[in-house]
Amino acid sequence: MAEEKKGRAVATQTAARIPKFVRGNLSATLKAKEEEKKVAKAFIADGQDEIMRAMDIVPAWGESFSGVCAAKRDAEKYLQKAESDNFSRSLCTYATCHIGFEMIREEQGGAMPEGAPWGGMGRPDMILGNGQLLCDPRFKWPQALQHYLKDVPVFITNMYYPPWDPNTDHHEQEKFYVKYCTEELRETVKFCEKVTGKKMDWDRLAAVVELSDKTWDLFVDTYDLRKAIPTPMDTGDAMNTMVPLTFNLGTQEAYDFYVELNSELKQKIAGGIGVADPEKYRLIWAAGLPSWFALNDFQYFNSKGAVFPVEVTYRGCEKIERLDLPKTNDPLEHIAWRWVRYWTHWYDAARKRHGSTPKVERIIEYIEDYKCDGAVFHSAFSCRSWHAGIINQADVLRKVYKDIPILIMEGDIVDISSYNEADTHNRIDAFIETLEAYKGKQKK
Amino acid sequence: MGDIRYYAGVDIGSTMTKVVIVSDRIETALIGPTGPEHRKLANKVMEDALSQANLKFEELSYVVATGYGRINVPFADRQITEITCHAKGLHSILPTVKTIIDIGGQDSKGIRIKDGKVINFVMNDKCAAGTGRFLEVVADSLGVALEKLGEVSLHASRATPISSTCTVFAEHEVVNQLANGEPVANLVAGVHESIATRVYSLVRKLQIEKDIAVTGGGAKNIGLVKALGAKFGSPVLVPPEPLITGALGAALLGKEKCEKAILDGYSPTRSKEGLREAKLFL
Amino acid sequence: MTGLANSKGLETAEKYYTQYGARATELKKEGRKVIGYMSALAPVEILTAAGVVPVRLKGFVDEAITKGDAYMESIICPFVRNAFDAAIKGRFSFMDGMVLPHQCDSIDRTNDVWSSYLNLPYWHFLNVPHVTDDPSIEFMKEILRVFIGTLEKFLGTKITDAAIAQAIKAHNENRRLMRGLYDLRKSNPPLISGVEMMKVLVAAMSIPVDESSALIRGITEDVKKRTAPADGNRKRIMIIGDQIDHTAIPESIENTGAWLVADDLSIGGKIYWPEVDETADPLQGIAERYLRKLKIPTTFVGDGNTYEENLEARFGHLKQRIAEFKVDGAILFIYKYCDPYGFEVPAMKSYIESGGTPVLYLEDEYSTSTLARVKTRIEAFLEMIA
Repeated sequence: MAEEKKGRAVATQTAARIPKFVRGNLSATLKAKEEEKKVAKAFIADGQDEIMRAMDIVPAWGESFSGVCAAKRDAEKYLQKAESDNFSRSLCTYATCHIGFEMIREEQGGAMPEGAPWGGMGRPDMILGNGQLLCDPRFKWPQALQHYLKDVPVFITNMYYPPWDPNTDHHEQEKFYVKYCTEELRETVKFCEKVTGKKMDWDRLAAVVELSDKTWDLFVDTYDLRKAIPTPMDTGDAMNTMVPLTFNLGTQEAYDFYVELNSELKQKIAGGIGVADPEKYRLIWAAGLPSWFALNDFQYFNSKGAVFPVEVTYRGCEKIERLDLPKTNDPLEHIAWRWVRYWTHWYDAARKRHGSTPKVERIIEYIEDYKCDGAVFHSAFSCRSWHAGIINQADVLRKVYKDIPILIMEGDIVDISSYNEADTHNRIDAFIETLEAYKGKQKK
Repeated sequence: MGDIRYYAGVDIGSTMTKVVIVSDRIETALIGPTGPEHRKLANKVMEDALSQANLKFEELSYVVATGYGRINVPFADRQITEITCHAKGLHSILPTVKTIIDIGGQDSKGIRIKDGKVINFVMNDKCAAGTGRFLEVVADSLGVALEKLGEVSLHASRATPISSTCTVFAEHEVVNQLANGEPVANLVAGVHESIATRVYSLVRKLQIEKDIAVTGGGAKNIGLVKALGAKFGSPVLVPPEPLITGALGAALLGKEKCEKAILDGYSPTRSKEGLREAKLFL
Repeated sequence: MTGLANSKGLETAEKYYTQYGARATELKKEGRKVIGYMSALAPVEILTAAGVVPVRLKGFVDEAITKGDAYMESIICPFVRNAFDAAIKGRFSFMDGMVLPHQCDSIDRTNDVWSSYLNLPYWHFLNVPHVTDDPSIEFMKEILRVFIGTLEKFLGTKITDAAIAQAIKAHNENRRLMRGLYDLRKSNPPLISGVEMMKVLVAAMSIPVDESSALIRGITEDVKKRTAPADGNRKRIMIIGDQIDHTAIPESIENTGAWLVADDLSIGGKIYWPEVDETADPLQGIAERYLRKLKIPTTFVGDGNTYEENLEARFGHLKQRIAEFKVDGAILFIYKYCDPYGFEVPAMKSYIESGGTPVLYLEDEYSTSTLARVKTRIEAFLEMIA
């Protein structure tokens, strides 16, 4: 079953360094014990990165682990293990894959399951989650995991942002949302202090947060280089180059990575080197996590002259100045403001365009800025948080913007059993034909 | 007729209707296809079974219906689910078995038994993965007769991995692989392995204990039985006639009920519907 | 139940069950505003205090989803999809507005779809947090104030603290009355069947609280007069799940020779046990009930010192109810694609089983199209525990 496919060849040299990053993160969790560091099973894009980095807590990213299993097409055994204890196959497969792995390890008295990808992931000393407006597994997965790791303490914080409502001015609400987020972050710090037995070094946290801000800015500047025609890098690479921002935020290595990527992209642009030659169609990856076991599909797009200069997925940051963050000396409050504004700064634009939504505004802005001809969404069946509501996004986009070609692909993030390569390629072919017709019409 | 009492079990599955008549021994067992109109056929198979056993319907002391069409048997005195019936029937034939895998036309299930009684069970959801339906679809697209699949798979050099569990997708996958020149035998073996995997992850929810037996139409496929044995890490027993365990169990449960009632001093109540009257419902 | 006295109240409940929203339609004609809501998390006290008719949305289990699929993916909670489908087909045409509390992803991620396609004069998404610490209580009070503000603006009236306090009393009284009716299921056999009870629960969520209390009072009096028939040794079943709001499942259980005697459903046991404390600031009591007292899987409970303590805090009430209602077996009925409930299954199942009560876990759609399979499992479970 576990037929290992060769990973997608990346277009940029810098992206080729990513497996090292991912391996490094995994092995850090394995080395933590001898380095006397605590390991936290944590979530990406959960607002807690900087607290962990400032306290030398080693994050064990469950999504990364399961994504690696999926990319190696070796997740099925863990999914089945979880299923054997009545976790439904319709639940988040990032979670069930990781829980299945931990179940096997516990049954083996803590011994690493044989064949765990890249040496596996260390047993956590704590589990951090966030009941944010992003996904339910962010508090249910920790709880379900504790059923098997009974001695491991769990802390769930709750960071909300004002919900989108075209008839309500969110600016009035931002303050109490930020206050709540800040207090919740402070509770996270208290919990981490308790588990590590160490006090937070607030100056160090402030420095980490400053580094994160710089990384956010550099990331956006670097990705903006992809506006070039032909684009020097597409989403296939971005599903790799997101790793430092998403998994290593607040570290110098992450920042340095984007310095390098930035210079490589500039070189490519100077040389006129694009992902596809010739570049015929420019697409936006408008929503959805990718099928980690089928990243080759991006190459399939490329082989048809279609490139993705931009994606919403994993672009988990924004230029800091654009967010217009109020000044504060409290690094936690700064994180809170940055968190809330990251979501709300699209609201004003959405309010101006009748019938629009912030998510769609963001897509429209990228389509314009990156000169895209069409949009592709991916709907993963096991993940409601990113994928419920995609039909509506596509509908609204058509209604308030224009009738551009849209493809909604179906699959999953980890579970290959619902994926069909031939069918997917057929759909892509049909979509390319639509694009061709659309572009023909545009010229007339 | 004397003191001998006769009991019948009728198992209406999605594809086959089975009737077993018992006394102190198995008098007769009959299998016929389930048509779109179960009632008519239940009647028919019952009539055939009775004539084979040289009995009249009135001579039956009790009739228990089981299987997914059990509520559509007007002449039955009682309905009992196939879960309980399979456990009962199989236990009477293979008493050492503690875990039963049943692979039927539309569903598959796992049953854990202790002393002939069900202690836990699981059933697949409405998806056809891991059921006989999956085999039918594949047999059809490969142009192999359903009953030949097992034999064909024995000539496989390897089991072609099939990653989709969705029946529709898996069919595409098989067709594509066939076009790529993959031998039919390997594909059939791959499909067996895929079903075995699906069934294993279903049945694994129970605490599997040996011996393990397989019943239902799936048990007639030697290739699938082999694949199951490999997945479960233990040889899988197959009863001599794997299709009738449900009907047999139904008949035996009827017998048990009647005998207990007689022991308790009252005679078991028969359904008012005679076999003939059933026709009114057609 | 054969041989039992008829009840005017039960007839009314039956009517409101079969003609869902009939009373709201009447009241709307009289000039009242009707606000629909989803889930156990909508603070009905505030709606009552505002003088509107609160109606909880339900699904229609025997109707296929025909319109909703165009707007909502099949990976969304089958109940939410069914209720939305009913709404978009005009089944709740009496609504002047809706409040959608943030319960789970299937709600949160479809807020835009609901609000834009129903296009009601009033819409509010109530951003209920998932955790229960002190900052969360303060936050909950803030969002309740925002909610009240939007309602006041829509209705053009002030919702006073006194009115809220009054509504709290009325709802607490309503909860006590309903628990009183539940008490009549403790005898063996129970005086009111699970099917009847389901109709009462559904009727109660579609009418104003005072009418609901009067209805429950009447039914309780009638049911108390019943004499339980001598009835063999039927098994006593409890059902656990989110919104099951139809009689198909109770019928499957009771037609197989068992009694449905208790539940922990979000339209039943989950909402009628916890009351609102009458606090000086009425919002304090409301915030505490909805965050700390409601036991629903979307509220994270985990501040115990050990995992076992957490389990007691999450599921202790289930064991209690099993004991009080002398439950022989529990059915855990979870909708497909439900992360909040789905991730609890192993913990909840083993917790209940550890007390010696067998559990049947069913994962299914919200549709009678799959009922035959569900029935087989329920019957086999009952045969197993017989």
